[in-house]
Amino acid sequence: MSWVRETRNQIGNGASGGQPGDRVRVTLATTTFAAILDSRVINWLRLVAVTSPGRVRVPDGELMEPIITTHSLTKKFGDFVAVDHIDLEIMKGEIFGFLGPNGAGKSTTIRMLTTLSEPTEGTAEVSGFDVRTQADEVRRRIGLVAEKIILYPRLTAVENLMFFGELYGMSRTELKPKINELLEMVRLESFKDIPTGGYSSGMRQRLNIVRGLLHDPEILFLDEPTALLDPQSVRFVRDLVKELNANGKTIILTTHIMEEADELSHTVGIIDHGKMVAVDETAFLKGKYKCETLEEVFLELTGRTLRDSASSHVPMRRTMGRI
Amino acid sequence: MPNGLRHNLYIMSRIAQKDLLDFWKAKMLFATFMVMPLLMMSMFGFMFPATTATSNPYKNAPIAMVMEDEGSFAINFADQFKEIATSTATFKVKDFPSFNSARDEILTGGIKGVVVIPAGFTEALDSRRQSVVLITADDTNPQMGSIIYSEAASIVRVISDNLGRSIISKMGNTGDPSFVTEPITVERMNLIGSRTNQFEFLAPGFMALTVVMGTLTGLGAAISREKEQGTMDGIMVAPVSRNAIVAGKMIAQTVRGLIQGFLILGLSMLLFGVQVYGSPLLMVVVMLLGVASFAGIGLIVTSLAPEQETAQMMMMLLQFPMMFLSGLLFPMDQLPGWLQWVGKALPLYYAADALRKVIVLSASLNQIYMDVVVLVLYSFATLGVAIPIFNKAMTR
Repeated sequence: MSWVRETRNQIGNGASGGQPGDRVRVTLATTTFAAILDSRVINWLRLVAVTSPGRVRVPDGELMEPIITTHSLTKKFGDFVAVDHIDLEIMKGEIFGFLGPNGAGKSTTIRMLTTLSEPTEGTAEVSGFDVRTQADEVRRRIGLVAEKIILYPRLTAVENLMFFGELYGMSRTELKPKINELLEMVRLESFKDIPTGGYSSGMRQRLNIVRGLLHDPEILFLDEPTALLDPQSVRFVRDLVKELNANGKTIILTTHIMEEADELSHTVGIIDHGKMVAVDETAFLKGKYKCETLEEVFLELTGRTLRDSASSHVPMRRTMGRI
Repeated sequence: MPNGLRHNLYIMSRIAQKDLLDFWKAKMLFATFMVMPLLMMSMFGFMFPATTATSNPYKNAPIAMVMEDEGSFAINFADQFKEIATSTATFKVKDFPSFNSARDEILTGGIKGVVVIPAGFTEALDSRRQSVVLITADDTNPQMGSIIYSEAASIVRVISDNLGRSIISKMGNTGDPSFVTEPITVERMNLIGSRTNQFEFLAPGFMALTVVMGTLTGLGAAISREKEQGTMDGIMVAPVSRNAIVAGKMIAQTVRGLIQGFLILGLSMLLFGVQVYGSPLLMVVVMLLGVASFAGIGLIVTSLAPEQETAQMMMMLLQFPMMFLSGLLFPMDQLPGWLQWVGKALPLYYAADALRKVIVLSASLNQIYMDVVVLVLYSFATLGVAIPIFNKAMTR
């Protein structure tokens, strides 16, 4: 396996050797070389690029294809560069752990990928559609489970789900069985007519995830889905994530809990100061940095300094979009 | 209808429905929303009562009667005064021994005014000279003071007229004594059927204010609350047009505003005898135009404010001057010239003016077309500026 990666590194970076973010550069390099290389060589390179060691957990016989691709994706708030020319590829069917210290640019990247925030520079394609020019096509194919629970506390579970489902153009008759099925999946069917304001955090988060699944999206963005939950709920949510992935959903998981990222992700991407510092399979990263745990890799790559000062650089306008 | 438009209209109605359901479920908020207009109307209605003599808000006001003269005319006058005061429920008259004791009672708040029949009252009349009655009112409240004074003076005038007529009859004049005492008199002829009512001035203004302000603050609050609680992301991440989101929110707020507006009108009719002469349909049209003219301002404020609290304070800042400068609570003509210009630059003036003309004077559309034109222009101008700003703020 390692020869594959070595080859990729040489293609991607010339003689510079393995650097964080290799996998991404390979594809870019493929495009660059395309003009001058024989088509057979290109096909071979493509094959190499998509059969990386991190892909073993993905269903057999299926070649990797990227479902999210970004080129130089950048977001500035005034002078502050929140996301700095990110090139990223997330493969179809994987659980991608998107990690980074507070204020590193995770949420901003997610907001751009989910069409909630417009990129300042660069492009991003989600499921083959441009986030800027084909936003509605992107929206139809993604589900967002944001850090803030997206539910109306005064409305019941059913009322909430009906409303959000209808936003996707689904009819009530279509939604009814779907809602029942999903509520059953997260074991909330007996609480479906109670205002969600009365739910516990765990119940609310389970319902919140279900809300993101109503329209059966190809890609599910999960922003810290287990934060503030009790161990039972955490386990439930993690198992749910695995199950959803096994059923074919691509999942982009943001979390600060490294064991969670380690347990769930096929690939992790670590972002710091708006730049991707590593994108690779977890086992490979541990080997590369000679670390026992993902947490050590994370600290190795992002340092041990607290990031308290970062937010003070953010101009007030930035908070507006995030609120 | 093209599919996209139908879908947008559907999304719009769903967002509006959801907002109204959410509002309906907030029982306390809903109750406050219903009580608010009633409270405002009665407060302002009684605080700024009509200054025409026909309606005196100080019914049965306690006043003192001080008799410094004990002559027959004085006693006769005092009796007649008390009788008229009691029968018209104008004053509750108490006898006081001296002006000073009555004055002390004003200071402690026991009475609102004093009528003094000075010494020599009877003697003057007996010797065929004009006599004087002195009236003092509690001037710490100038408005009340002037009402007390004019009410007391009008009772004196009635007594005086009666006396005059009897004197003329005794003189052997066969004609109408009024021809001598009051050769020319005045009778008020109202523009509309019944007598005017201060609430008829206030009700349309309050309707306009509630509808317009409800939308302005409600829209801002609704959007910033959803932004803060995160649910706005849930809507924005769905394949729906941004304009449909704004329109849906506007519809919900407008429906709320219209309910409140008609509640004010209904209560004014029921409790304060306001009569509606105009077309309810035209009223709705005017109110909708008022809403449209303010929605843009609401959106701009929402876009500029970093969070809900600031947005609300900014709305308050707009709301306050508008309330007082748009001729809602008192006629615009009472303001100095430059302030009138400020007031006339605000769309609320035109909404209130049009609504008042429709309700009280039963004006038709072509009689209020100037107001309508201004409101339409205002709507286009503000929404034209606001929607791009808002969309940009939402995808920042």
